[in-house]
Amino acid sequence: MVDSRDAVQKYLIGRHLEPRGSRFFIVSIILSVLTIAGIVGFVLRFQDGFGQGDLWGYYVALFAFIFAAAGGAPMVAISTRIAKAHWPRSISRISELFSIVSLFGIILFIPMIWILPDMEDGRRTLWFFGKLNVPSNLPHILTTLGLVSLVLTGLFILWLSLMPDIRFLRDMSNTKKGSWLYNLSAGWIGSSRQWFMQRHRIGILGAFYFMTLIFVHFLIAVDFSMTLVPGWIDALYPVTQAHNSLQVGVATVVLTMFAVRYFGHYQDYLTIDQFRGLGKLMFALSLLWFWFWFSSFIVLWYGAKPSEKSVLELLMTGPYIWVFIAAFVLLFVVPLFTMIWNPLRRSIWGPTIIAGCVFIGAILDKIRIYVASYSVIDQAGLHEIEHVPSTIWPGFADILIWIGGLAGCVLVYMLATRILPVINIWEQKELKLYQVHKKFHRIEVQVLGKPE
Amino acid sequence: MQEHTQLTQRQINEDLLDTVLSTPRWWLPATLVAILVFLIGASAFGYMLNKGVGVTGLNRPVFWGFFMVNFVFWIGISHAGIMISAILRLTQAEWRRPVTRAAEVMTVFSLMSALMAAPLVHVGRPWRADLWVFPYDFARGIWVNIRSPFIWDPSAVMTYLTASTLFVLVCLIPDLAVIRDRTKGWVRAIYSILSLGFRGTPRQWKLQTVAGILLSALVLPVFVSVHSIVSWDFAAQIGPEAWHSTIFAPYFIIGAIHSGVSAVATLMVIMMWVFKWDKYITRDHLDSIARLLIIVATTWFFFFFLEWVFALYTLEDPEIAMRDLQVFQWPWSGMFIVFLITAYFFPVPMWLFKKVRRSLFWMFVTTIAVNIGMWLERFLIIVPGLMRRGHFIFDWGSYHPSIIEILMVAATFAWVILGMLLFTKVFPLIPLFDVKEGMVFRDEIKIGRRTIPASIRE
Amino acid sequence: MVQVLSAIMGHRSVVGLFSDEDSAADALDALQAANFESNEYEVLTGTPYPDGTFGEAEPVHKLYRFPLVGAICGFSVGLLLTVGTQLGWPMVTGGKPILSIPPMVIVMYEGTMLGAIIFTVIGIVFESRLPRLFMGAYDDSITEGAIGVAVTTSQDRVEDAEKVLNKAGAERVKRGWEKD
Repeated sequence: MVDSRDAVQKYLIGRHLEPRGSRFFIVSIILSVLTIAGIVGFVLRFQDGFGQGDLWGYYVALFAFIFAAAGGAPMVAISTRIAKAHWPRSISRISELFSIVSLFGIILFIPMIWILPDMEDGRRTLWFFGKLNVPSNLPHILTTLGLVSLVLTGLFILWLSLMPDIRFLRDMSNTKKGSWLYNLSAGWIGSSRQWFMQRHRIGILGAFYFMTLIFVHFLIAVDFSMTLVPGWIDALYPVTQAHNSLQVGVATVVLTMFAVRYFGHYQDYLTIDQFRGLGKLMFALSLLWFWFWFSSFIVLWYGAKPSEKSVLELLMTGPYIWVFIAAFVLLFVVPLFTMIWNPLRRSIWGPTIIAGCVFIGAILDKIRIYVASYSVIDQAGLHEIEHVPSTIWPGFADILIWIGGLAGCVLVYMLATRILPVINIWEQKELKLYQVHKKFHRIEVQVLGKPE
Repeated sequence: MQEHTQLTQRQINEDLLDTVLSTPRWWLPATLVAILVFLIGASAFGYMLNKGVGVTGLNRPVFWGFFMVNFVFWIGISHAGIMISAILRLTQAEWRRPVTRAAEVMTVFSLMSALMAAPLVHVGRPWRADLWVFPYDFARGIWVNIRSPFIWDPSAVMTYLTASTLFVLVCLIPDLAVIRDRTKGWVRAIYSILSLGFRGTPRQWKLQTVAGILLSALVLPVFVSVHSIVSWDFAAQIGPEAWHSTIFAPYFIIGAIHSGVSAVATLMVIMMWVFKWDKYITRDHLDSIARLLIIVATTWFFFFFLEWVFALYTLEDPEIAMRDLQVFQWPWSGMFIVFLITAYFFPVPMWLFKKVRRSLFWMFVTTIAVNIGMWLERFLIIVPGLMRRGHFIFDWGSYHPSIIEILMVAATFAWVILGMLLFTKVFPLIPLFDVKEGMVFRDEIKIGRRTIPASIRE
Repeated sequence: MVQVLSAIMGHRSVVGLFSDEDSAADALDALQAANFESNEYEVLTGTPYPDGTFGEAEPVHKLYRFPLVGAICGFSVGLLLTVGTQLGWPMVTGGKPILSIPPMVIVMYEGTMLGAIIFTVIGIVFESRLPRLFMGAYDDSITEGAIGVAVTTSQDRVEDAEKVLNKAGAERVKRGWEKD
């Protein structure tokens, strides 16, 4: 661990500029091939056209998952900055870089504009279609706008937080004047006014990002799944989706942190403190998952109206019961009973394995919800589900799409880390100002400053 | 810039034990008034027991009125204690130190008030109603129906009451030792027994510190469950429109936090104003709680919005007719406007101004407004919800509270005030050891010309 | 009473009062140098300090086991109560199954948490070694900011302890059985 602020900067920039080696290159090639396989899968699926909604359930689930994970990940940096905590400084960039993956998510969203039928099929919608003079594709328009503004906000936050680091990079390497990386620092000279504005802009945009994230989850959860299932009235469902996004976002950051620690050799910066902090968050989020799920479930189960019974059958107890049970175990039971235990939380492997479980659990959860919702798309105009269709298994095309989609995300992220420093340099330098070790009578203590 | 006064332990003892070791002049009259109001309410209760629930304004179909509104209201207020104490402890927020105990004590007394409002008063003949909850009738083998939310509810409230009372008592032990050392004679003997022989060894302090965190972590999930379960008293049934909504549990919780944290802010203002503890509870603390309130209130408003959106989303006539009643028909429409203004549109924009956040007067006014609004919110959920029960209901009654109900409701308010007054006479309302610990762990970092407040971390 | 019991057990206690942390820490070092066992002396303060401030050993406790045991007890009682009452009076209400699991979860959850909390509180009192019937050497000024170093040792070593405490800079040294 290096001590002075200048040494931190020198060390981190040096690490960033190091050549990546053949392993990085080989993995990139493999991921590119898998991404292409995903495109092939999409083409295969596309041969049947967008008309048969039930064929696209797995595709929509993939989008929903990637949007949840990549959209939720930047919240780790945003929320911990609001709480003025010091330990997340070394993971803020790791989490913010996921905004670039969200950009990839937007590409995946484009076909969904055609997959989702317009509101003329008589389904119940939020938009008072038929009563007010709204266009029949209002959900498509609103979701697109919401999604684009969310991703732009995320990218803007990333850019703001990058500016000082790009400046350091530009000063310490031979980045050519006029190159795009040079321009990205946007005339940053580190004046006190620039620092002041940067802090405020990041704060305000962070709050805006959070609100937009919830809003977009609201739109996607309602328009892209709930309204397709007749009789499904669950006011809490959009909030559960926003929460799931935070949960899988944290898990994704833990997994990425693990990879960056081992393959990028950042052991000094990504220490047990960071794993432990996020382990605690995973614990709290798993409890919240149960609370949200149970709050929805008990009301529908207790009410037991025929429409509610069939919704529960479709989503939980019927064709997808094993998927639901697996998601329940991986999203709630496993993180709860492992992350409650301090020694496991205070380790590198513990939180990482649990994050893996949450990651897989979230995939299963999205499949359960979206595949089930799209399987009743032909009944959308009814008052309640007439018959619950049997399980829809993924086809070859679906498997290719999923592999390609996930590989594409990893590839995009890896390439981003090639260009942009994966550890936030200025925040590490700032930490040196606020963190002091000193003697307190007979012990050595850490003094942490909390500026206004 | 944060205000900061470094105080000695002796000075802290003198300041904060002021109410315990001597009696302020206003204390006795205030206590007597609270006792009087409480006794009047108790007499009204006696009258109701004698005459039956017919003396209240409850009727068919509005079976739930002021008592249930009050029950939900007080459960809501009780959430403040744990919200402030547990969450801020777990996040190691320094500004929690002077306010935790007052908040926890308010939890205990408001829970008692809630218990007075529903299971005691509301059921009319408590000895009949409550005996199927406890004790169990082993003799005849007839058991309670645990499938009913009315069994979940007492199990949760009693757990919460037990937990929060124990929490307060455990954290009191070191402070009781301080009082023990400052008193003489029989009073000292009593405090000696209560403080269990606490001496302040590193082991005892360590356990106190761990206890604060561990109990916070344990009480927090209980607090979430309590109001969720209270909400399921309403949401589980499919009878009244507008009640059967999945959003109810989080909506009630966040509403409870909104009203509870506002109540703590009110309490802080009172403590600064009446007890002159402004060295301990500073305007910085008010500022922090007001910032927290902006977030809490806005989250609450989001859930309120969701509740409404999905009520309209059902597109079912009875549900929409109920909403029409709430918003467009007098007197509910008037209440609805007052509710929205006082619960959100007046206080939140006010809190955006630093001057308001740091003003005792304006913080008092805005936080009281929130609780007026939140009381009305519960009223507007319960009463109009019951008035229109659907197509085939021919009893379309309204509801006017009788004087008997009003007196009993006033008694629950008097009870909380009385409880707090009696507590301040016997125990310190600001945790001495927490404040002293804050002084030990406080530090500063000098960066150039600036001094940054800092704290020691082990 | 204290004298009698202490005399029977052959132990006496003495407390040295210090005005600052460093001299109290020096006293602990001196006691160690004078061959007092680490369980014979302890620091008494009016406020929590970071662990090891006075060079004392970090207290070891087993508090975390208490909530676990309590939770298991509470869960078992909750399970017994909910299953037993439903099966003991098997009446269908609200069209729900006789053994309805979702409501059971709620009551069992409350039972679990109640058990965990009650056991934690018992654990805190027990692990703090409270209630303590006899205070031993103690002084009221400790809750006013003085730092006490209490030594509980065999009768013949009390004077040695007093000497060590005085030498370390104690402002006052007080025996356990002294009257105020």
